[in-house]
Amino acid sequence: MTQLQARGVVRAYGPTPALRGVTLDVAEGEIVAVTGPSGCGKSTLLHCLAGILRPDAGEVTWRGHRIDTWSEAARSRLRRTEFGVLFQFGQLVAELTAAENVALPLLLAGTGRREARTAALTWLERFGVADLADLRPGEMSGGQQQRCATARALVTEPWVLFADEPTGALDTLTGEQVLTQLVRLAREQRTAVVLVTHEPRIAAYADREIVLRDGLVDHTGLGLDVPLAGGAR
Amino acid sequence: MRPATLVRLALAGNRTDTARVVLTALSALLATLAGLAALTVLAIQKPAGDAWAESEQYRNELLREPGLRGGTAFALLMLAIPVLALAGQCARLGAPARDRRLAALRLAGATPGQVTRLAVLETGLASLLGTIAGLGVYLVGRELLHRPDERGRLALPTDVLPSTGALVAVVLGLPVLAAAATALMLRTVTTSPLGVSRKAVRERGPRPWAGLLIGLGLVSFVAVRPAMDRIDGNDVVRGWVLPLLVLAGGLAAMIGVVIGTGWISHTCGRLLHRHARGAAALLAAGRLMADPWAGSRTFAALLAAVIFGAGAAAQRAYFATQDELEREQNRLAGVDAGTNPFYLSTMDLVDAAVAVAVLIAAGGLLVALVEGIVARRRAYAALIATGVPRSTLSGSVAWQALAPAVPAILLALTIGLLLGRGLFGSVRVSAGGSSTVVCEATAALCDDPATRDQYTRIVQVAGAERVIPVPLEQLAWLGAGALAAVLVTVGVGLLFLRVSTAVDELRTA
Amino acid sequence: MSTPHVLLGLLAGGSRHGYELKRAHDQRLPRARPLAFGQVYATLGRLERDGLVATAGQDRASGPDRTAYELTGEGRATLDRWLSAVEPPMPYVASTLFAKVVVALLVADVDRARSYLVAQRAAHTARLRELTAVKADPAATLSDVVAADFAIAHLDADLRWLHTTLGRVADWHREVHP
Repeated sequence: MTQLQARGVVRAYGPTPALRGVTLDVAEGEIVAVTGPSGCGKSTLLHCLAGILRPDAGEVTWRGHRIDTWSEAARSRLRRTEFGVLFQFGQLVAELTAAENVALPLLLAGTGRREARTAALTWLERFGVADLADLRPGEMSGGQQQRCATARALVTEPWVLFADEPTGALDTLTGEQVLTQLVRLAREQRTAVVLVTHEPRIAAYADREIVLRDGLVDHTGLGLDVPLAGGAR
Repeated sequence: MRPATLVRLALAGNRTDTARVVLTALSALLATLAGLAALTVLAIQKPAGDAWAESEQYRNELLREPGLRGGTAFALLMLAIPVLALAGQCARLGAPARDRRLAALRLAGATPGQVTRLAVLETGLASLLGTIAGLGVYLVGRELLHRPDERGRLALPTDVLPSTGALVAVVLGLPVLAAAATALMLRTVTTSPLGVSRKAVRERGPRPWAGLLIGLGLVSFVAVRPAMDRIDGNDVVRGWVLPLLVLAGGLAAMIGVVIGTGWISHTCGRLLHRHARGAAALLAAGRLMADPWAGSRTFAALLAAVIFGAGAAAQRAYFATQDELEREQNRLAGVDAGTNPFYLSTMDLVDAAVAVAVLIAAGGLLVALVEGIVARRRAYAALIATGVPRSTLSGSVAWQALAPAVPAILLALTIGLLLGRGLFGSVRVSAGGSSTVVCEATAALCDDPATRDQYTRIVQVAGAERVIPVPLEQLAWLGAGALAAVLVTVGVGLLFLRVSTAVDELRTA
Repeated sequence: MSTPHVLLGLLAGGSRHGYELKRAHDQRLPRARPLAFGQVYATLGRLERDGLVATAGQDRASGPDRTAYELTGEGRATLDRWLSAVEPPMPYVASTLFAKVVVALLVADVDRARSYLVAQRAAHTARLRELTAVKADPAATLSDVVAADFAIAHLDADLRWLHTTLGRVADWHREVHP
């Protein structure tokens, strides 16, 4: 069942067009990779789908509701409750401990302190970093930070996880470990993932790959946007 | 490096750097004005005659009485303190970005000396521009304000000019001072070309040593009056040692309050952390505990002004009570007069100075707050992207500013009040008993020596004492004013938060 | 693939029968082409001829496949030499992939070369995806993961090459046909 849809999404930064009419569906629990060369509009598409940016034209719908027309507050609430967002680095709050960082989305949703901490510890455990719960991001390695950030993005058990180059700042092994855990946990709780990456080996974790070129879906590239043989399910 | 290259690299910067240069120049200008005003007062020639001969050409007694001019100049110099605090805050504006740029230059092969020279050049040139502009404003101002009234008297000492040497010292000295301070602050950057490394060591929270300094300051103030009575007549002690004691004590108390704010910040953070329910308070608590000294730095000038103001309020209460008491006793004696109104009118000037200081301090506060927000804009943008509402971030900024500000302002008010009361020795004023001859008849009868005695009688006025009230109302106004300054700056800071959380910030890592 | 050395290695732990060797080979090298029994016996025969292995424990009665083999001293020394020798890092660019693009450019036009590259990229991507699925399977053993990693890294390298060559193929054609 299609949950998230983009229809002819156009977005420009000043005179520079980033997206020139992108159409895309994301089904429930599906892992979609968005790839393409630098500057092809990958991140902008992710921002538009997640309701962080408003498209200049076209529409984005979530379960049949147009969300691009919603107010910032409403989209913010959507991101907080239904979505998870994960960036390359630097998204943890430097002054809070790992457990507090992971608990933050739950606190925002009104969960009590104790309950939120328990849930945060569970998620840190799933990513194998429970022993770091009381450390601050500055006291951890890049890989450990990214595991915490992933735990934070999944702690609300969102419907869709938006991951923008989540392994971009990590070495190959650490990156693969983080991604493997992410994909496994996302599949377990049927969280759809929109995975932006420029690396084929990262995109290979997805069920489907969308190639963007110059702000458009590149159908000439691989005949992609169709499930490939031997899909990951 | 050739000078041209040096200048070009010193000028290469972004908007924040421009803002820093402008603000540095502006604070140099203000400091120049304060310094020149003080020097001008000191430049007034003592007229011929005895020690009490007044400079009749001025309207204001602060300028006329030679004994008061030192104090006036000192007060004007004191105004430079919040200005210097403002300059310090301005120097921090965009500092992380600049540190990164300088570190990049180091990586590209610049020597530590070259990098330091670059930054020093920027600050020095900006300050020099400011001091020269300040000199210009001063020179133009004294022409414009040179307006004798109908009796030929001047409102300000626009008829004298400090010596050329003094002028040059201010105009060149301030930039040198600023440059030296910059060189000192850049020590860490110039040593490491990798720039600001991640901070792994968790600092232990500040200890409440500041209490000791405050206590020291209070004790020295209380000790002044008895010491003065004891060593009556020793001019060296009275003229130098005691004023120095007062100055040192005041400084100790002020530094104590400022350092104490670090402890207050940390404690507030800990309490918030333990009891906070919402995310906003948790975020604020984390920041307060991670950098408790931010509060000290940010509020230093404001707290100094509040201490000064509270001390002044205590003095005003003393003068007002004395005035009231004397007025009453005089009324008993049939005369309608209080104490010399000079003291109370001087207090008005002091209050005005405090208001100006609070205003300048608010400027510094704003710069510090905005700097804090801008420096963290990527983190804020990332939080917004993950769905953290702006109101939560605004709330955390407000918590972070107000949670330590309220107790710190209360502390400053209390310490200022205690200092003021300590200086005047007692919580009471007294007027000695006296007897006055009163003539109760028409002027004609009283003037005639023959009839006068029939109508005169001697009125005895008993001595009286009165407790000096705590000037609650004035303190409340002062506290409210300081708090309002904090609130306004938080409000303006939140506007910057809106700009700083644009998603575009995610693209510029 | 140096099958003789792998068999020597598998015998280093003690004598084994031919079918045991085949099973161990397929288990330890999960993504390698499976060994045929015939190949195992042929290789063992050559090794025995060269004096690197010797039959151990005659059990001829149960048939030839019940013959166990063990390492000789010479065999152990050969294995040791092989393990110590560093493989020459890619001495020649010898790949059908590469050769095919060159030939396509020589005998046909840019479009032919390009369509081959695109098709090959799709095939590589599909294979990459398969191997990634194997690896991401929670039941995968570390042997599976390491073997898949090896293949993935090479596929990834090929994919990068395919990708950059697609971007250069027009200029390349101009160089081949001035």
